Amino acid sequence: MDSRRNFLKQMSGAALAVGATPSLLAWAHAAQSGSIDLPGEDGLIVRSLRFVDLETPVEYLNTWLTPVPHFFVRNHMHEPSELNAEDWRLTVGGEVEKPITLTLAELSKLESHSLVNTLECAGNGRSLHRPQVPGIQWGKGAVSTARFSGPRLRDVLQRANMKLTGKHVSFRGLDDIPGKVPPFIRSVPIEKALDADTLVATHMNGAPLSKHHGFPARALVPGWIGAASCKWLTEIKVLESEFVGNFMNPAYRFPNQPGKPGEAVKPEDTHPLTALNVKSVISGPLDGTSLRSGRVAVRGAAWAGEADIVKVEVSTDGGANGTAAGLGHDHAHYAWRLWSYEWRAKSGAYTIRSRAIDSQGRTQPATPVWNPSGYLYNAADQVTIHVA
Amino acid sequence: MLHSIVKASIVAALIAVAAALWAQEQQLQIIPGGQNPPPVGFKDDLPPGAMRGKATTCCLECHEARIILQQRLNKAAWTKEVDKMIKWGAVVEASDRDALIDYLSTNFSPDQPPYEPLRTTSDKASGKNGGKKNPK
Repeated sequence: MDSRRNFLKQMSGAALAVGATPSLLAWAHAAQSGSIDLPGEDGLIVRSLRFVDLETPVEYLNTWLTPVPHFFVRNHMHEPSELNAEDWRLTVGGEVEKPITLTLAELSKLESHSLVNTLECAGNGRSLHRPQVPGIQWGKGAVSTARFSGPRLRDVLQRANMKLTGKHVSFRGLDDIPGKVPPFIRSVPIEKALDADTLVATHMNGAPLSKHHGFPARALVPGWIGAASCKWLTEIKVLESEFVGNFMNPAYRFPNQPGKPGEAVKPEDTHPLTALNVKSVISGPLDGTSLRSGRVAVRGAAWAGEADIVKVEVSTDGGANGTAAGLGHDHAHYAWRLWSYEWRAKSGAYTIRSRAIDSQGRTQPATPVWNPSGYLYNAADQVTIHVA
Repeated sequence: MLHSIVKASIVAALIAVAAALWAQEQQLQIIPGGQNPPPVGFKDDLPPGAMRGKATTCCLECHEARIILQQRLNKAAWTKEVDKMIKWGAVVEASDRDALIDYLSTNFSPDQPPYEPLRTTSDKASGKNGGKKNPK
């Protein structure tokens, strides 16, 4: 098999030399083998290749730190075509006394801070809403956890002498914009920007960010929806008010009051999404599987944005009775908790449910809170299995 | 004489390239090892229809078909999406707008079965990384 693989690699090189694109080669593989070769991305669900949106299968949500090849990828547009560490610049402007431009080397000289953060796309679980809503049809795996490192955003802002008029901070990425799509710019309130845990991250799990994850630097706004953590960061602006643009309004907003599923929501009755809500996902057993009777480990992950997980209840009878699962030893403020529950399964058909409870007293609803863009799906998770 | 040698060399080179391409085709059918075949009903292109060509030029200029193939929306929702995309630069003649919405809402309506996505090649299945361990 290895010789065949080497042969193919050589042939791929030859095809590239005569002008075939990597994506075309990927298609060739896909058509024949049922999987798509994408270097550095291991066994992820392909929601889209152009632009790249890859989902982590739930069975991979079983390690406290997600290896980068298993970490979901969410892009709103095409990745920057040209990126190199030497030419990259980060500008800081707006409501500052001294606008600055930093090179990567200058940024790297600032004190580095590390934290473990669970990053989740606001649209994770969108495909489970009924009626269906438009957007990338994520299942349950647009979520992963990594250790992010880099200077604090407040240290970067301090170098530019922020004015007292600054109330919000916007981030702009180097995304390659198709057509007349508005640029990917979003802002966070100054309190979150100045938080000691908000970073300009340059590293992930101890290695420099890969291109899919925002090389050479991204914002890291811990506990908040993934869209707050702008990739390929190139411009930071201090603003007097919230940034006005597509990705603040109408995108990434949530109804002030939950409405009926399918009902339109007036823009003035919405607010921007910020922190994640409380949620758990079962990473095993997988939905639809058949198992032998005996000991079955039910396991998964639970997270709550800026809050902490205090309990995960597992039910093997569809939610009627719940038992507290054991929580994993690894924990950090913005990171998920792994959990597990050992169950003695007798033969039969079962619906296993998990429901997380957080330090703010929030819990997962039995049915999802529908909204027009399918954000923040957090219904109690469930899988149906058969025990022989 | 020299010309015929050159000609023969060119013909031989062309045959070699053709053979290599044919071999590549053959290889592609049997590798990579350990990967599943495509799901039944796997699709990677827009479905047939009078508006397929228009949809290809106006939508796939910026993104691939997969982004459309995975949607399951009613006509009102497709109308909103098409109008948003026109605002964002999709070139759709006014006379094609309604037919395009019909094409999308017929082929990608809520009652269609869900789209079956592929996965990226797994290191574990191909043995490339020997099932990489979780970083500490």
